[in-house]
Amino acid sequence: MPAVEVVEVEKHYQAGATTVRALAGVSLTVEKGEFMAIAGPSGSGKTTLLNLIGALDTPSAGALRIDGVDLAGMSRKQLADLRRDKVGFVFQAYNLIPVLTAAENAEYVLELKHMPRAARRTRIGQLFAELGIGELLDAWPGKMSGGQQQRVAVARAIASMPAVVLADEPTANLDQVTGKALIDMMHRLNHEHGVTFIFSTHDPMVLAQAERVVRLVDGKIASDERRGETVAGAVAAPVA
Amino acid sequence: MIGTLTIAWRNLWRTRRRTVISMSAIGLGLALVVIYGGLVSRLMGDAKEQLDTTGLGHFEVTAAGWRQHRSGKLTIADLDAKLQDLPVPASAEVSVRVLSRGLLAGARGNEAVEVHGVDWQRERAVALYLREIRQGAVPADDDAHGILVGEQLAERLKLQVGHKLRLTVQRADGEMGAALFRVRGVFHTLSPGIGQRRVLISRAAAAELLGVGGSAHQIVVQIDRAADASRWAGEARAKLGPTVEVLTYADIYPIFEAMESLVNGAILVGSIFVYFLVGLGILNTMLMSVLERTREFGVMQALGTRPGGVLRMVLAESFWIATLSVALGLGIGLSFTWLGSRSALLDFSEQMGEGIEFGGTVMRAAFLTEFSVRAALLPALYVYLMALLVALYPAWRVSRMRPVDALRAG
Ligand SMILES: Nc1ncnc2c1ncn2[C@@H]1O[C@H](COP(=O)(O)OP(=O)(O)OP(=O)(O)O)[C@@H](O)[C@H]1O
Ligand SMILES: [Mg+2]
Repeated sequence: MPAVEVVEVEKHYQAGATTVRALAGVSLTVEKGEFMAIAGPSGSGKTTLLNLIGALDTPSAGALRIDGVDLAGMSRKQLADLRRDKVGFVFQAYNLIPVLTAAENAEYVLELKHMPRAARRTRIGQLFAELGIGELLDAWPGKMSGGQQQRVAVARAIASMPAVVLADEPTANLDQVTGKALIDMMHRLNHEHGVTFIFSTHDPMVLAQAERVVRLVDGKIASDERRGETVAGAVAAPVA
Repeated sequence: MIGTLTIAWRNLWRTRRRTVISMSAIGLGLALVVIYGGLVSRLMGDAKEQLDTTGLGHFEVTAAGWRQHRSGKLTIADLDAKLQDLPVPASAEVSVRVLSRGLLAGARGNEAVEVHGVDWQRERAVALYLREIRQGAVPADDDAHGILVGEQLAERLKLQVGHKLRLTVQRADGEMGAALFRVRGVFHTLSPGIGQRRVLISRAAAAELLGVGGSAHQIVVQIDRAADASRWAGEARAKLGPTVEVLTYADIYPIFEAMESLVNGAILVGSIFVYFLVGLGILNTMLMSVLERTREFGVMQALGTRPGGVLRMVLAESFWIATLSVALGLGIGLSFTWLGSRSALLDFSEQMGEGIEFGGTVMRAAFLTEFSVRAALLPALYVYLMALLVALYPAWRVSRMRPVDALRAG
């Protein structure tokens, strides 16, 4: 079962009298264990697509399946539960909850899943150790550097073993070195634990680390390349 | 523990100054309601319960029409039988009076007076001033010539214990009657009017002087709680028949009830005003903190917090503000009412004299407060309800935002 299936998805925004077609018929399948980047110029629809996959927003048309679950017709509560169970998020602006320590931020997701306290603590302790951020367990977000916050954000995103982790420009606020280190960490998690990552970026250095790159132009998939090859079957639209 | 209440508590202290300010404002509002309530309920309570400051009693039995005509002829028929039949609680105090207007003549002048012929022991229980003799003493039971006068009257007529006085009255048969009395004591009263006009002699002496035989004009009954007055008066009315008139203190002085509803109305309006301000304070605080943190609520939703969870998070914050405010408000309010129940917080004695006369009773000008934790709990509960109620709006607003919109905010 694929981690993500996007079928003929459209997203339209009403901007005054005109309708913006942010996504114009996107179809995409992401298998478990992929390490995929979404590229494309500004306004091409990267964020829109990630928001739809993450069930933060609903499509104007088309279907979305996350880990085999069709999002159509779900209530807000069901969508929340789906995000809790199947999706992890890493945001550009880190977005750690400032009143929770690093460990508590990661624990928060597990608490939502009603995992007992002791099990939560153990799991987060191990995870932080593995990610090399064990010394940050009791640190407050406000006291951490951007790179540290984003590592904690990754830990939070994968803590509950989601089917897919979505990261919209995770390195945009980081310097080159820190950004590369973050992508390396994500890549290692992908390799060693099979965590599925979909991230968007403008940075060619980051793109170079992706195993698959889907390029959006004007809300359509312009290319879909795996390790440099174009994958047949992707909806290739002519570059305008 | 990173439950909703913990997160809400921590969020409260991110904007420490705002929290402290709104908590203080709400707390002081509550304290004000508690103190005001304590002051007024003590005041109204004293006014109603302590009718012995004037000897009014909670209800009285007189011959029908006596209140209207004040005629010495209108005595209670079959007084002893009526006293036997009078339904009163066991703890009630009952005093029988022979009443008349009269003229008191001393060596230094004359004064118009109202004469109370009483049984000393019984009267003591219903008239505070008989317990506050400042010179001399209450006359002995068989003292047919002893008279008590108030401080003000003694002052005017330059009376001392032992001085001789002539009391002239109109007898029940219409003739003039007069007798000589000797001052046995001078009483103190909160009421300058009573101090100046009221004189007390024994019931036997009064009956003799007025020629009313064994009868009397008034039976005064004082019970434990003013609230029960109309019930007992009603029973007395039914039992004693139409030859007598039974009137409660409130019948005699309707201003009591009027004053009470006025005061209750004022409390209600004042409280509504305070709660309104409390509500505005909490609404403002919550709206500000929710709007500032919209994106955080978006993050929580992205992590899988349900809309209901977001709603609870905001309500939890409001709950904490209410809790802190209530703690502060009760702390201040109860401290003041406790202190005020011991010694007066408001004392107008300097300006208004020891007592303030009001509708047949006299209140002390040094206002005490009633200390009652129970009475303070209701306003505290209202603060909680208000906090929850007004927080519902910001809570509902942010919880129904789509996560994508919430994340874009701020
Ligand atoms: N809420 C919205 N209302 C109206 N138009 C929107 C909204 N969100 C996005 N758009 C439009 O949809 C299109 C796609 O936007 P999107 O943010 O997905 O692009 P992006 O590829 O993420 O761009 P960037 O690289 O700048 O982040 C753009 O034309 C944008 O203006
Ligand atoms: Mg974007």
